[in-house]
Amino acid sequence: MSGKHGQKAYEGHMHDYEAHIKAVEEDLEYYRAKRFEPRIIYLLRRGVVTFYDLLKVRTELKKKDHFFKLNKPQGKNIEARVRYLEEWLDEYVKGIALVSARTVEGMDMVTEDNRKERGDYDDFFKIKKKEHHGSLQERMVNLEQDLTDYQELLEVFVQALIKRGWANRADLERRWNQLHEERPWAGGVIVARAWTNPLFKQALLTTGREALREMGVHQGKVGKLVVVENTDTVHNVIVCTLCSCYPYDILGDTPWWYKHESYRTAIVQNPRACVKEMFQLVIPPDKEVRVWDSTSDVRYFVLPQRPVGTEGMSEEELAKLVTVDSLLGAGHALEPAQQREREAAHVEPEMPRVRPD
Amino acid sequence: MSNRKCREYGPIDQVMSETNSKYKIGDAVMVAVDNPTGNPRTPKYIRGKRGVIGSVHGVLENVRDHRGIHKPLYTVKFDLSELSPCRDQDTIYVDVHEEWLSEVRPDS
Repeated sequence: MSGKHGQKAYEGHMHDYEAHIKAVEEDLEYYRAKRFEPRIIYLLRRGVVTFYDLLKVRTELKKKDHFFKLNKPQGKNIEARVRYLEEWLDEYVKGIALVSARTVEGMDMVTEDNRKERGDYDDFFKIKKKEHHGSLQERMVNLEQDLTDYQELLEVFVQALIKRGWANRADLERRWNQLHEERPWAGGVIVARAWTNPLFKQALLTTGREALREMGVHQGKVGKLVVVENTDTVHNVIVCTLCSCYPYDILGDTPWWYKHESYRTAIVQNPRACVKEMFQLVIPPDKEVRVWDSTSDVRYFVLPQRPVGTEGMSEEELAKLVTVDSLLGAGHALEPAQQREREAAHVEPEMPRVRPD
Repeated sequence: MSNRKCREYGPIDQVMSETNSKYKIGDAVMVAVDNPTGNPRTPKYIRGKRGVIGSVHGVLENVRDHRGIHKPLYTVKFDLSELSPCRDQDTIYVDVHEEWLSEVRPDS
């Protein structure tokens, strides 16, 4: 894994197709093996749906009755194909969210059930992830095929839930539209406020989510929020060694590397070497590194240091300096010159999407 | 559904239960090697290791994640060198539930 992947979020044009494809491969397998299939197995075991429901639905399903309607690819060149794969993955992930616990009657699962089912506590139950080999071309063809297959199972599963009466189509459609309403990313706004308002910063560091209420930012409710502050003497890094716990209800999707096993293993074995190798981030020897391993009940993010040369900047300008990686300790906030360079090169930061919880 | 709505996180729940926590900040603790009935979300690399209580969270309700309610939660601070062959003077903080912890006497 190279540090290039960590930069993916800020690239406007793709320079590294391989990194994009790798990210799609990793995320796709993660969502299939960790989020979707364990849920199906859980429900199969309890007879909520059966294999035979799935088979029957598959046989009877007509194209016009499909729940998920996918866009067509925009062009045949490599960049268009990569973008299409990324968009498709995004729709697949939303589809999984659609059939998550609280949307479907009879599927009263908590995250703990899902974790048990997917082998978080017992390797025996772990669903094997697929490995990817071959040239970039071959890998893209494979991904197109995988997405077709995985999407088909998702479609059939949703249809089976409707057929068995566990969900009704109108409710699912309402929820599906909600999942496509995007909320702006709050990370930059929160950090910029903390940099400029000492009282807010104090509240954020001591009361977590409570502090967000007053600034009108969506508070969410996924665990207790703890914000840890980077200073001249301390550099904080966040990890979830067991899975990928993160305040995603406030900060949106995690970067792909955060879920990656190599990061989750290396960061607690040799933090300095890990951030240097993965993110080209060198922590001076006189700074203490603190790694925070979330085990679900508490969710963490880092308050990065305010970059030098930002005196007198407005909150709005400051917010643009905050990157997703800097909230996890995988980078610093951008210096104004770096940010200007990106703007001049028309590099639009791709911020993670925050979805309704 | 409606039942769940009223069980969201609130600061009041936390304050009430922190007083029932067995350990306080600065206490030296040891993580159990095994605990079949404890919260399974206790990472393997800290089992059997010594640390110090860094923060006390009390009993946190997490209705989205867990069935039932776990014992009080602590953030335990470990020296990196206790957990890994790495000799850097850095620290790892891990959230651990009370049933996994035992007291370490200063003379032991």
